Amino acid sequence: MCVGLPAKIVSMKNGTAVVDATGARREISTELLDNVEPGDFVMVHAGIAIAKITTDDQEETKNLMDALEA
Amino acid sequence: MDTRALDIIRGYNGRPIRVMEVCGTHTHAIFKFGIRNILPDNIKLISGPGCPVCVTETGFIDEAIYLAMEKGVTITTFGDLVRVPGTEMNLAGARAKGAKLKIVYTPLDAVQYAKDHPEEKVVFLSVGFETTVPAACLAVKKAKEWGVSNFSLLTANKTMDEAYRVLKRSADAFLYPGHVSAISGMGILRELRDEGISGVVCGFTADEILTALAIIVKKIEKGDPFAENAYPRVVADDGAPIARKLIAETMQPCEATWRGIGTIPESGLELNGEYEAFDARKVYSVPEMHGRPNKACRCGDVLMGRIKPHECPVFGKVCTPEHPIGACMVSSEGTCSAYYKYDLG
Repeated sequence: MCVGLPAKIVSMKNGTAVVDATGARREISTELLDNVEPGDFVMVHAGIAIAKITTDDQEETKNLMDALEA
Repeated sequence: MDTRALDIIRGYNGRPIRVMEVCGTHTHAIFKFGIRNILPDNIKLISGPGCPVCVTETGFIDEAIYLAMEKGVTITTFGDLVRVPGTEMNLAGARAKGAKLKIVYTPLDAVQYAKDHPEEKVVFLSVGFETTVPAACLAVKKAKEWGVSNFSLLTANKTMDEAYRVLKRSADAFLYPGHVSAISGMGILRELRDEGISGVVCGFTADEILTALAIIVKKIEKGDPFAENAYPRVVADDGAPIARKLIAETMQPCEATWRGIGTIPESGLELNGEYEAFDARKVYSVPEMHGRPNKACRCGDVLMGRIKPHECPVFGKVCTPEHPIGACMVSSEGTCSAYYKYDLG
């Protein structure tokens, strides 16, 4: 149950959004985020988007390692 | 390929370090990626209590069964609670005896079901940490707005902050659960740092886990307590303020009992006075229940990092994913489930 699902917003209407999570589509709530739009990626928990995210995980770990070694 | 994190971890030659991965999804990811196998002997990973199903007391299942069997309530729940043992039976057993049980993906589906079925009394089993609590709060807020009076929550929600304090002697540093921090933000972790509790917020890819471990190694070598965010693509410094506001509007902190750990003040959440009409314990006058877990099960010691699942006498023998004796074997995020799947010892 406590598993985050990264998903891309396909469309939005009245606080809900249809998201694409690696091909599967479902409706979620976006009521707890105020700055998302179609095309954005979000982290979904229990049917609600809890965070707007990026998918640049490799860029991020590279930057963290650069900072660690600086 | 960038091997800097791996090089730092493998090159560590200091004192032994114990790192607790708090989150059950981290436990599974660490096994899946084979990370334990590449760590040097002086870095040990300990699995913590971050699986909400696993830390839920047996008595909670007994309460849910009471509601279903004695009060004729329709239980709505996440699927992995269904096979968690209660004192006498699990929810699947109750269903076989006539209890009405509906699996939902989100509490929002549960409140919609209640709205669509006004003739039924619908209770959602609200377990979960900061990640799941906002969905339950949103459901109950909608129930109030829509006038859905046949919907309520049986709560066993928990928050991690106080648990970190209780667990601080179990590890030298925590791999903090990324999605809990996505809600609560970095502020609380800096408070913990100032109390001498260290950790790094961690994502779920192999690179992200190795990077967080490398940061822990470097920071421990330096010697000062630390609170670092190695998952900023998901975790904003201030977390999710709208979600926290919603929680504050609908719930209030309470004492909570964690399976294996015991009672921790202020580590739970219950509906506040404004929403007590949606509190299943009050609506249905649920008597106090103290569940009796199977005595052979050592989930509690596993959750505290005191033993590995192999050391439990029933692990892999009578306790398997098909026939779980303890909650840690039931949930797909449970530590015993991870060990059974990836490392039978």
